[in-house]
Amino acid sequence: MTQRLRNWLLVAPAAAWLIVMLVLPLSVVFVFSFGERAPSGGYVPAFTFEQYANLPARFTAFKNTLILAPLGTIMALLIAYPLAYQLAVRTSQRWKTLLLVLVIVPFWTSILIRSYAWIFLLGGGGIPALLASLGIEDVRLIYTPFAVLVGIVYGYLPLMVFPIYVSLERLDKRLLEASADLGAHPATTFLTVTLPMSISGIATGCMLVFILLMGEFLIPALLGGGKVFFVGNALVDLFLQSRNWAFGSAVAMMLIIIMLVTVTLYMRLISRLNVQRDDAQLM
Amino acid sequence: MRLYAFCVYVFLYTPIAIIALFSFSAGRSASQLEGFSVKWYGRAVNNPFVMDALGNSIFVAFVSATLASILGTLMAVGLQGIRGPVRAFFDALIYIAVMIPGIVIGIATLIALVTVFDVVNPWVASFWADAAAAPKLSMGMGSLIAAHTMFTLALVVIIVRARLSSLEAALSEASADLYATPFGTFRQITLPLIAPAILAGFLLSFTFSFDDFIIAFFVAGSETTLPIYIFSSIRRGITPEVNAIGTMVMVASLILLIIAQLILRGGAKPKR
Amino acid sequence: MTDHISKKKFMEELRRYQKGSVTRRHFLGVTGLGAATAVLGSTMPGLRATTAMASDIGDRVVLATWPNYHDEANFDMFTDKTGAFLQVNVFGSNEEMLAKLQAGGSGWDVYVPTNYTITTYVEEDLIEPLDLSKLPNYDPAAFDPRFSDAGIVDGVVYAVPKNWGTTGMAINMSHNGGKPFTSWKEFFDRTMDDFSGRTMVHDYQLTTIGAALNYHGYSFNSVDEAELADAEKLLIDVKPHLFAITSDYQPAMRSGDAWLTICWTGDGKQLSTDIPEIAYALGKEGGELWSDYYAIPKGAPHMEAAYALINFMLDPEVNAREVLAHGYPVADSRTNELLPEEVLNDPILYPAAELLNALEFGAAATLTDPNRAELLARFKSA
Repeated sequence: MTQRLRNWLLVAPAAAWLIVMLVLPLSVVFVFSFGERAPSGGYVPAFTFEQYANLPARFTAFKNTLILAPLGTIMALLIAYPLAYQLAVRTSQRWKTLLLVLVIVPFWTSILIRSYAWIFLLGGGGIPALLASLGIEDVRLIYTPFAVLVGIVYGYLPLMVFPIYVSLERLDKRLLEASADLGAHPATTFLTVTLPMSISGIATGCMLVFILLMGEFLIPALLGGGKVFFVGNALVDLFLQSRNWAFGSAVAMMLIIIMLVTVTLYMRLISRLNVQRDDAQLM
Repeated sequence: MRLYAFCVYVFLYTPIAIIALFSFSAGRSASQLEGFSVKWYGRAVNNPFVMDALGNSIFVAFVSATLASILGTLMAVGLQGIRGPVRAFFDALIYIAVMIPGIVIGIATLIALVTVFDVVNPWVASFWADAAAAPKLSMGMGSLIAAHTMFTLALVVIIVRARLSSLEAALSEASADLYATPFGTFRQITLPLIAPAILAGFLLSFTFSFDDFIIAFFVAGSETTLPIYIFSSIRRGITPEVNAIGTMVMVASLILLIIAQLILRGGAKPKR
Repeated sequence: MTDHISKKKFMEELRRYQKGSVTRRHFLGVTGLGAATAVLGSTMPGLRATTAMASDIGDRVVLATWPNYHDEANFDMFTDKTGAFLQVNVFGSNEEMLAKLQAGGSGWDVYVPTNYTITTYVEEDLIEPLDLSKLPNYDPAAFDPRFSDAGIVDGVVYAVPKNWGTTGMAINMSHNGGKPFTSWKEFFDRTMDDFSGRTMVHDYQLTTIGAALNYHGYSFNSVDEAELADAEKLLIDVKPHLFAITSDYQPAMRSGDAWLTICWTGDGKQLSTDIPEIAYALGKEGGELWSDYYAIPKGAPHMEAAYALINFMLDPEVNAREVLAHGYPVADSRTNELLPEEVLNDPILYPAAELLNALEFGAAATLTDPNRAELLARFKSA
C-alpha cells in the first residue's frame, strides 16, 4: 500500500461525512436562496434574486447582531482577562485548579435554565426591586438590549477565561520577575511582556465567543422579549413561523458571507500581530 | 484584584444559586418560594420524559463524540501527508464547519435532509409491494448524531492536528529508519503522543453535543434531548422540576470531574 | 353510533388481531366491541378502566398546546388512570405549529389547532381523520355548532372542540384610574403615551396584525395590501414603546412589569381572578372570536394514547375542571350543566352581545398569506 493511498483512506470517511452533512446542506441553502416561497409555506424551485433584493427587510437584525456580537465579545474579554490573569499569575498552585473548575461549573447547567434565572434576576422582582430599596426607582432591565448583553457575557465568559488562562499560564514567570528587577513599572511590564504573550489566548477566546454570538438566538429570545432581534432570531422566525424557506436561505447565505469575511480578516490581523511579536522576540 | 475575582464569581454563581434554591421549593411556581421540599427531584427522576431525554442526550453525545474522535483523528493523521489543493479544500471545509453558526447548520441540515427524504422515500416505497409498509427515512436520532458528528469531528481534527504538528516529524522518521511499519510507528509512537489531544477532543465533543440545543431543535425530529425538554418546559411556565434537573446535571458533572481528577492524580504523576 | 361492520370485516379483523398485527385496542375499536366495553364499563363502576386494561395505550403521550391552557391536576389524573405520562409542548402561534408539522416528525400525538387553520391542515394532509368509535365521550349533539363546525371538513370529523374564546386586551386598571380601556385605538394610542414600555403584543400574526387593523377600522382578517401597510406603520411606530412581543404574557402582567397586553379570554379570567386590578376588555372596533379543537396529526407515534387523552378531556367532568382552571367558555352543554352559575354568567367568558357581534372568526387565508407572515417578521426584526 502506497503512502498516498493510505493517507487517502484515512481521510475518506471523515471527508464523506463532511460532504454529506456540510457541503450538501450548504449547497441546498445556496440553491434555495434563489427560489420562492410555496403558497402555503416552504419552498418552490425558481431562479430569482428577489430574496436577496429583499434582504434590507432584515437590516435591523443584521445591525443588532453586528453591534451586540462584537460588543459582547469585548465585554467578555474585559471581564475575563483580569480573572484569567489573577488565576494564572497570582494564584497559588493549590487553589488554581479549584478556582478554574469553579469557572466552568456554571457552564454545565443548560444555558436555557441559566438564562431563565436571569429573567427572574433582571425582572421587576429582582435587581430593580433591590435598587428601588436603595432609592433608585424605576429601573427597567428585562427585555432590553442591556439584558441581552448581560445574558451573552454571562453565557460565554468561561469560553473567554480558558484560552487566556492557558496562554498566561504558559508565560514564564521569570520574565515578569526580570522585568520588575530591571526597574520596569508594573504597567510597563504588563504592556510589554504579559499582554503580548497572551495575544494568542485573547485571539482564540475572542474568536470562539464572536462566532457563537453571531449565530445566537436563545439569549435574545429569552432576555430580549422578542424585541432585541439577532439574525439567528430572524432565521428561526423565517423557518418556524412564516415558513419562507427561500428568504430564510438568503438570510443564512448572507450570515455565512459576513462570518467568512469578518473571521478571515480577523485571522489575518492576528497572524500579522503574531509575526510582529516574533520579530520583536528575535531582536 | 482579589475583590475583583470575587465579584466575578458572585456574577457567575448568583443565577446558579437561584436555580438551586428554587429547585427545593414546595410550590409549583418557579418565581416564588413556597416551603422546602425535595419532591421536584423525585418527580424529575420518575418522569419518563425526563429520563428518556437524558438517555437520548447521553446516547447522542457518546455516539457522536466517539465517531468524531475516530474519524477526526484519522483525518488529522491522513491530512498530515497530503499537500496541494486537496489539502487546501479540506482545510477550508474544517474551517467552515467550525465557523458557521450552529443555527445555520441546524437549518441547512433540516431543509437538505427533508428535501432528500422527500425524493428518496417514494423511490424506496416504489420497490415495496405494500407502499405503506416501506421503510421511511425521517428526521430523528440518526440525523441528530450525523449533524453533531459533522461539527465535532471538525473540532477533533483541529485539536489533534495542533498536537501532531507540534510533534517532531523527526521522531516518526527515526522510527521508520528503524524499519518499523507505518502502522507500527503510528500505534507505538504517534498514537500515545496524541492520545491526550484525542481525549480532549472527545470530551469537548461530548460536552458540546450534550449541551446543544439549537442544532437539535431543528434536526432531532420527534426525538427529545434534555435541552429540548428543558426548552419546552420553560415555555410552558418553568416549574421547579426544571431547576431540579439543572441542579442534578451540574452536581453529576462535578462529581465526574472530581473522580476524573482523582484517577489522573492516582495514575501518572507529572511526566515532565 | 356506527358500530356495525360486516361479518366478513369482523372476521378479517379478528384474524389480524389473532396474528398480532393489530393491537387489542384497534380490534375492539374497529369492531365496536370497544364501545360496548366502554358503555359496560361506565355503567358498572367496578369495570372502569383499570391500569392493567389501559396499559396497552403505552406509557406516554405528547400534547402540543397553548400557554396556561389546562388543569394540571387533570393531567396527573390521566396519568394515574392510564399509566401514560404527558409531555406538554407549548406554542405561541398556529404558524409555529404548522411549521413544525410541515417540517415532518413533530412527534406529537395530540395538538390543539384553532378553527381557521383546520382546512389548511386537511389540504396539506397533516391531520388524521378521527375514528369516532374511539371517542365515546364525543357527542356532536351536545356542542354548539358555531364552535364545533370548523372541526368537520367535507363531512369528515378531523377535530373535536376544546373550548372557544375571544381575543381582547388585559389592562392593569390601577394605572388608568381604575377603568379598563374600551378600544384598540386607546390600546395603541396610550401605549405610545403614558403606557410606554408597559405594553405587550402577541408573537402571532393573526392577533397582533388584527388588532392594528382594527385600530384603523379595517377587518381583523384583512389581506388587502394597503390596509396591511397601514397596520405595519402603526406597529413599527408602536414597537419602541412595547415591553415585549410574546404570547406568554401572564408572568409579566402578574409581576407588574407590564400593564397592558393583547389577551385571550382565559388568560384575562385567570389574571383578573388573582389580581382584581386587572380587567379583560374587548375592543369596540372588533377582534377575534375563535374556537380551539383537539386533533391528531398524521403519523402520531402514540395513536391509541392520543385517542385516550382526547376522550378523557371530553369527559364533561374533566372538561368542567378544565374550565374552572383555564377560564375559557366551552361549547359543550353537558359540561356547562356541571358548571356553577357565576361562571356561566361571567362577562369575561360571555361578553355582551353588541361586543360579541363586532368580532370575527379568523380566516384561513391569514394563516398562509405571505404578506401577513412577512409583515409580522419585519415588525419583530425592525
